[in-house]
Amino acid sequence: MGRVLMKGTEAIAEAAIQAGCKYFFGYPITPQNEIPEYMSAHLPEVGGVYVQAESEVASINMVLGGGATGYRVMTSSSSPGISLMSEGISYIAGCEIPAVIVNVMRAGPGLGGILPGQADYLQATKGGGNGDYNLIVLAPSTLQECVDLTQLAFDLAQKYRNPVMVAADGFMGQMMEAVEIKPSPTKDQPADPTWALGFMEERGGKRSHLHSLFLAPEPLEEHNRKLQKKYGAMKAAEQRCECYHMEDAELLIAAYGTTARISRSAVNNLRAEGLKVGMIRPVTLWPYPYDAFKTIPSTVKNILVAEMNAGQMVDDVKVATGCRYPVSFYGRTGGFAPSVKEIEDECRRILAL
Amino acid sequence: MAKGRIEVLEQYCKSCGLCVAACPVKVLRISEKTNAKGYRPVEQFKEGCIGCAMCATTCPDAAIEVFKIQE
Repeated sequence: MGRVLMKGTEAIAEAAIQAGCKYFFGYPITPQNEIPEYMSAHLPEVGGVYVQAESEVASINMVLGGGATGYRVMTSSSSPGISLMSEGISYIAGCEIPAVIVNVMRAGPGLGGILPGQADYLQATKGGGNGDYNLIVLAPSTLQECVDLTQLAFDLAQKYRNPVMVAADGFMGQMMEAVEIKPSPTKDQPADPTWALGFMEERGGKRSHLHSLFLAPEPLEEHNRKLQKKYGAMKAAEQRCECYHMEDAELLIAAYGTTARISRSAVNNLRAEGLKVGMIRPVTLWPYPYDAFKTIPSTVKNILVAEMNAGQMVDDVKVATGCRYPVSFYGRTGGFAPSVKEIEDECRRILAL
Repeated sequence: MAKGRIEVLEQYCKSCGLCVAACPVKVLRISEKTNAKGYRPVEQFKEGCIGCAMCATTCPDAAIEVFKIQE
């Protein structure tokens, strides 16, 4: 398959199949309906199974059960649906089961609207569910990245036995762009018999017991220590970030996903005017790319965070920079995205201060 | 001026508004209706379609059919 013009949601679904996803459990919600639609049509072709559950709560628990067999499973939803799944996501993390969750984010809170948003940043990176757990959260800003990060998500989920979220926003889901979807090298990787259910013989008759309930405090603390060690390894190895024209920038825009695309245009336009603006774009929202923020050059005087929410990433930028820079924010909510001009004007305003 | 008419396949429309911007005679708008996915599909709100098919060409979801009316 060469480069084809595809809708983001369908590209994500095909990328998942090419990454070896065999089982999909989900429940429809706009703006990600094309993912289950595509899966229902194409998973049977590869010997997989598509199940439309009766709710998001059911689908995430099917993901828990399916993932426990070690095969590549996935669900997708959009913001309010992910809220319903939060309990299950915490259980999956607690049981250390690999799973991929795609969140095509829409505007909130509550049912909100069906137009794009990025207001699930805190839910994705800081919790949602209960307990000390973390997801790896990947934020694509082009459709090719939607494809690549979806495939990476399956590998990371298997590597760390942890749920991985692809946090795309509604624009990523609904726009069309040329993409190339290759079969992932790990597509046919078999389930890991050291822990996956259904491989008792391969383990020499040993049971594998995946659970998140530990009634005694000592084993639960031990379990948490083990999880934290794993999250530490993720923080050390899995930070991903793109720095764009950062080397001599005076003003740095911090943005991810669709707002990073818009900011990139603003940076190009402002650079053409001779203004020294750059961009730092976290690709992993968790683990947050602290290492990249440590390389911010001394020319930088201000940081502008641009998002489609009310400023959820501002705190992370402040922490990542040790509060050494004034951090301002520009965002739109309700389904709007900041325009290139709005971001340019905000940059000009800050540079004139 | 040539005359045309359009049919919107409402279930495929995601109200992106690209056709509204592309229409050279500005006869399209986002309607007040809601489709099954919750989007407001586009509609032709006044006469004047010239059958140029700019709307159908620009539509990313192939949701518009254009017909030329024979004089």
